[in-house]
Order: sequence, then structure tokens, then C-alpha cells
Amino acid sequence: MKTDDLIAALAADTLPQKSVSQRFWRALPVAIGLSAIAFLVFWGPRPDIRVALGSVAALKTILPLVLVLLSGLLAFALAHPGLRAQTRRAALGILAAGLASAFALVLAREGFSGLTSALATPSLMVCLLSIPVLALPILGSVFWALSAGAALHPRQVGAAGGLMAGGLAAAIYSLYCDQDAALFVLPAYSAAILILAFIGAVAGPRLLKW
Amino acid sequence: MRAANRGDSVAYHRLLRAITPVLRTVVRARGSGLGPEGCEDVLQEVLLAIHTKRHTWMEDAPLRPWLYAIARHKVVDAFRARGRRVELSIDAFADALPAVEGPDPMDGRDMDTVLGALEPRAAEIVRAFGLNGETTAETAARLDMSEGAVRVALHRALKTIVRLRQRMIE
Repeated sequence: MKTDDLIAALAADTLPQKSVSQRFWRALPVAIGLSAIAFLVFWGPRPDIRVALGSVAALKTILPLVLVLLSGLLAFALAHPGLRAQTRRAALGILAAGLASAFALVLAREGFSGLTSALATPSLMVCLLSIPVLALPILGSVFWALSAGAALHPRQVGAAGGLMAGGLAAAIYSLYCDQDAALFVLPAYSAAILILAFIGAVAGPRLLKW
Repeated sequence: MRAANRGDSVAYHRLLRAITPVLRTVVRARGSGLGPEGCEDVLQEVLLAIHTKRHTWMEDAPLRPWLYAIARHKVVDAFRARGRRVELSIDAFADALPAVEGPDPMDGRDMDTVLGALEPRAAEIVRAFGLNGETTAETAARLDMSEGAVRVALHRALKTIVRLRQRMIE
């Protein structure tokens, strides 16, 4: 086939395509709904949810949502060639650095014994399993939306999408989790969310290829 | 491109014809070992990528960086699929002079293979525009379809082509 003939065919194809953001708004609410229903059926909110959300423990929900926003913006920029991603990457880095220094600060105050005793609870395994499970439908919808983009670095886009799904799942899970110690929440939630980022980074090159 | 994303077929046609000679130069400069037909295959792959990803260009951003990024990614990808590594900087596109259109037919082979794998009617619709110079309405009348059905069939056929080509080079 001649290139000119191909061009004529391409030009004649004027059906609009769904953009990344259109796909996001279509799929993400459904996926979040699915996870929320699963959460209500199998986990359910903690009994003292009202008190908890009025205290410092609300950060367990708020910080993951900040992460969702920042990683979502980054994934969006990375899926659109020509958009600058540096600022968004830096914002995500600042959040990560902030969380890491908060962890270091608490650790310095309470020592390693504090850390091991905070993590010596069955809640740790529950957290590390629940967040990925709750994140799966969300990760699926995020990848479906991002696959409409043109990822030049699919591994990075996948990782950012994984962070986004992990953050949303962590925010949902935090409504159940009754462990409020910073030495539990920071490492456990971070590890669970990073599992998702890892899955995203592995799946990215395969699923976001174009 | 803005007009193209809003469905202006004529403006889109003009744009694709305008960028093709530049893309051809870049591809040929790097693919001397592929022969003119092999280069044309790569070029057609790049054009298909630009087409299927055209909505990832943000209307408030300049077009060139987007275009070059898509093209560069696809050229490197296409050469890699053919077992070659190419180094390609964005500047290569900006510096390239449009290729002189010689008397040789700007023909690619891969496309015919893929069209052969397509349903005959879908392949005919894809061919109708360039080969016969038809409009959607004329194709619809000839094939006794509605214009909308031709549009949908063309859209699906192009999607299938992209998928088949990807499978072909893997």
C-alpha cells in the first residue's frame, strides 16, 4: 500500500477517540465503587470511625489521598508526550521525603524496639494483604485509562499508576485499620503502596505499549 | 491538528501530507539497510502511531514537541523490532529537510500483508480512500452501506491494523 493511500485512509477516519481523562472519569468511579462495596462487605469501618477521623489518625486517610493526587497528575503528564513532568515528579519526591523524615523522626524518638513492637501485630499482614486486594480493581481501571495515552516510559507510567491505585486503596483501608501509631502506619502503608507501584512498574512495559 | 481532532478531515489530510516528507527523511537517513520499501514500512508505522495517539496532544501545547516525541519513539521501536538499534535525537526531526519525492512509488509491503489478513470488506474500505480517491459517501454508496457504518468500519479496521502490525513484529 502506498503511503499516500494510507494517509487518505487515516484522514478519513474522523471518529473521535476517548482521551485518557475521559477514560479515567468513566472507569475510576466504577472501580472505586467496587472496592468500596468489597470494603463494606468484608472489612467495614472501625467502630470509632467518627472519633478517629476527627483526630490525627485522619492523616492515615488524607496523606494517601494526597499521594493519589500527585501520582495521578504525574501519570497523566507521563502519558502525554510534550507535557512537562519535572514539577510533578518533584512534588511526589517532596511528599516521599516528608514521609521518610517523619518516619526517621519518630524512629529516633522511640527507637528500634518501638518499631518492632509496633509492627508485632497481626494487623501488619492484614494491612499488607488488604491494600493490594482493594487496589486491584482500581489498578485495572487506571491502566485501562493510561493505555489510551502514549507512554514514552511505560515503566514509570505504570509505577505512577500503581502508586495512585495503592494510595486510593490505602485511603479506603484506613477506615478499617485501628492501628494509629506512626511507627506502624508509615512503614506498613508505605510497603503496601510500594507493592502496587512495583506491580505497576512490571506491568507497564507490557500493558502500556503502543 | 486542532481541526483534525475536531473531525476536520481535510485539514488533517493536509497536516499528514505536510509532515510525511520530513518523517521520511529521518527514517531513510537511519534505515539505509532496510531498502526504500522497508523504510516506507517504518514510516507507515509512525503515521499509524500519530493517528492512533492524536488525542494525547494537548491543544494548548505546541504541536512539534509532541509530534517529534511520538515519531522518535515509534522510529526507535520499529527499528528495534527489525533488530537494529538507532540513536535518534529530537533535533534530527527539526533539522531534516523534506525528502525529495522521486519517481519510485512510495510503497510499503507490511501494509499489504496486514490488509490481506483483514476481512475483505474492511480491507476494501481502507483501500477505497487513497486508491479510488473516494469520499466516505461514495464508498458508502458503492458498498451499499450507510456513511456511519463506513466510518465505524474504517475506524475498526485501522485499530485492527495497528494490532496486527504489532503482533507481526513481535
